[in-house]
Amino acid sequence: MDTSLKTLMLEASAALSRLDSARLEELALSCQALNRELPSLSRDKQMDLARQSRTTTAQMVAFKRILEATKANLDVMSRLRDLREGRLEYLVSDSCRWIRTESRHGDN
Amino acid sequence: MATINSAFGIMTQALDADQAALSIVANNVANASTPGYTKEIPQWQEDAPVTINGAPYGQGVTETGPRSVRDRVLTERLDQQQQLASASNARLSALDTMQTLFTPDSGSTSATAGDIGNDITAFFSSFTTLEANPTNDADRQGVLSAAATLSSDISGAASSLNAQRSDLDQEVAGIGGQVNSLTASIAQLNQQIQTSSPEADAGTLEDQREEDVSQLSNLIGINQITTENNGLSITTTSGDLLVSEGTSFQMTNGTVDGITHLFVGTKDITSGLTGGGGELGGDLTARDQDIPSSLASLDQLAYGISTEVNAQNNAGIDMNGQAGGNIFSSSSAVTGSALTMSVKMTDANGVAAAGSGQGSGGNLNATALANLGNVSNPPILNGLTLSDGQTLAAGQTLLNGQTPSDYFSSFVSSLGSTVSEVQTENTAQTASVTQLQTQNDALSSVNLNDEASAMSTLETSYQAAAKVFSILSTVMTSALNLGQETTVS
Repeated sequence: MDTSLKTLMLEASAALSRLDSARLEELALSCQALNRELPSLSRDKQMDLARQSRTTTAQMVAFKRILEATKANLDVMSRLRDLREGRLEYLVSDSCRWIRTESRHGDN
Repeated sequence: MATINSAFGIMTQALDADQAALSIVANNVANASTPGYTKEIPQWQEDAPVTINGAPYGQGVTETGPRSVRDRVLTERLDQQQQLASASNARLSALDTMQTLFTPDSGSTSATAGDIGNDITAFFSSFTTLEANPTNDADRQGVLSAAATLSSDISGAASSLNAQRSDLDQEVAGIGGQVNSLTASIAQLNQQIQTSSPEADAGTLEDQREEDVSQLSNLIGINQITTENNGLSITTTSGDLLVSEGTSFQMTNGTVDGITHLFVGTKDITSGLTGGGGELGGDLTARDQDIPSSLASLDQLAYGISTEVNAQNNAGIDMNGQAGGNIFSSSSAVTGSALTMSVKMTDANGVAAAGSGQGSGGNLNATALANLGNVSNPPILNGLTLSDGQTLAAGQTLLNGQTPSDYFSSFVSSLGSTVSEVQTENTAQTASVTQLQTQNDALSSVNLNDEASAMSTLETSYQAAAKVFSILSTVMTSALNLGQETTVS
């Protein structure tokens, strides 16, 4: 297993930027595995991981900031969805029901 | 017959409507690569039912024209994030250039690499060498040579910072012109949109306006205010009006204290634009804050070293048995000291290695000169009268109570820390822009079902990333604890 924390964080940041949820799920599984195996790693590897933890603060901070930005984007999109759902409700009338039906017809 | 005619009529209308819809699709395909183009979808309208003998038959459909799939909330959010990303990008670029000035090339000598840190060490070490052989001419020349390298590198760095500031100043002036061009275009588009389509989406015209606003967001921090009849007003982030519906307010350049300032009317809006977003905000932050701050630190370093060394050399006896003079040209003020730093002494016999009361072959003052590199509060400063007439009290120092090397290290470390912070900001902001572009692209090209899918991707990615972050935090904490326990045992 590649235990380079810096690589892991850079990869996670990049995947989150491009919204690659599949890659993020894979990374989450890798992290879970790393967390599970941590106590049984050799002392050398534990020491190496401790050293990596001390030197990857900047990458962790950057990852956290991207996560915060994503949360803000998600909030904006959620509000947008609420707005659109409200618009759809408003459109539930005779004429609008017709428009939706014909839209499907047009797509066909 | 009436029924057949009506049916044909309905069919013909439906075919016409389908044809119109196909034209819109074809237009979408043709413009797939057009920057800022927003996909259009056909709008359908029910026709009046055909009534025969009192009974309604069928209903026709007419295509009433395309409607652009745009979302102002999302594009505005995208524009805002773009402004932040552009600002941090421009500032980061300037900071990177600054940082290279203070990062020696690998494998180079201190003289060619401009490594001021090494220069400081080498300069004070030259006094230690002289201390062992105070009458040795080569060692005396070594002092002047090290002093020349140090002053040359400090003044060279200051000169480069000034040149960089001048380049940024020209960029600022140029961006002002680009902003004017875009705001004029937006005002004109406002007029066209308000005239041609006050109630509905104006299609291509709105695409052009969005594209202009997007380009404007790359250049400057703005607020967008939607007005009546599809109009759009734009202010800077500090509230100065740039576009009010059909009118644009041009920015003009003026020179204040030797640098370009930007005005709207007679109001100087430069400080409001600094840090306000866009390339302009980043450039102004670098020009008016980052570079002056670094220059001030370099000035203080140059002033501190030259003042301390000159005072100490004046306190000793030179090779000719006379009181020592200045090694460096003295500055009348701290500001500008780095740029003008130079070696005044031309005769190496002028280096005062001997202490007062010693013969010219003594070394007590060489020891004191060497110690200037190691002590944070040299005794020579106590009661020293500076060029501006100020007399230093006991405990007062010129380098924040640090040795010259420590002062320089703190400065470089602080600069590195700023670069790292801005780098982090830039990474996060650029990622945010990428995400929003992905969402915007999805919204502009899909139906409501796909829109829900795009939203779901964002949500799933966030949740998975939050999981990664949480587990990584746990791993790092555990690793640090295990590492400590291992060290103790």
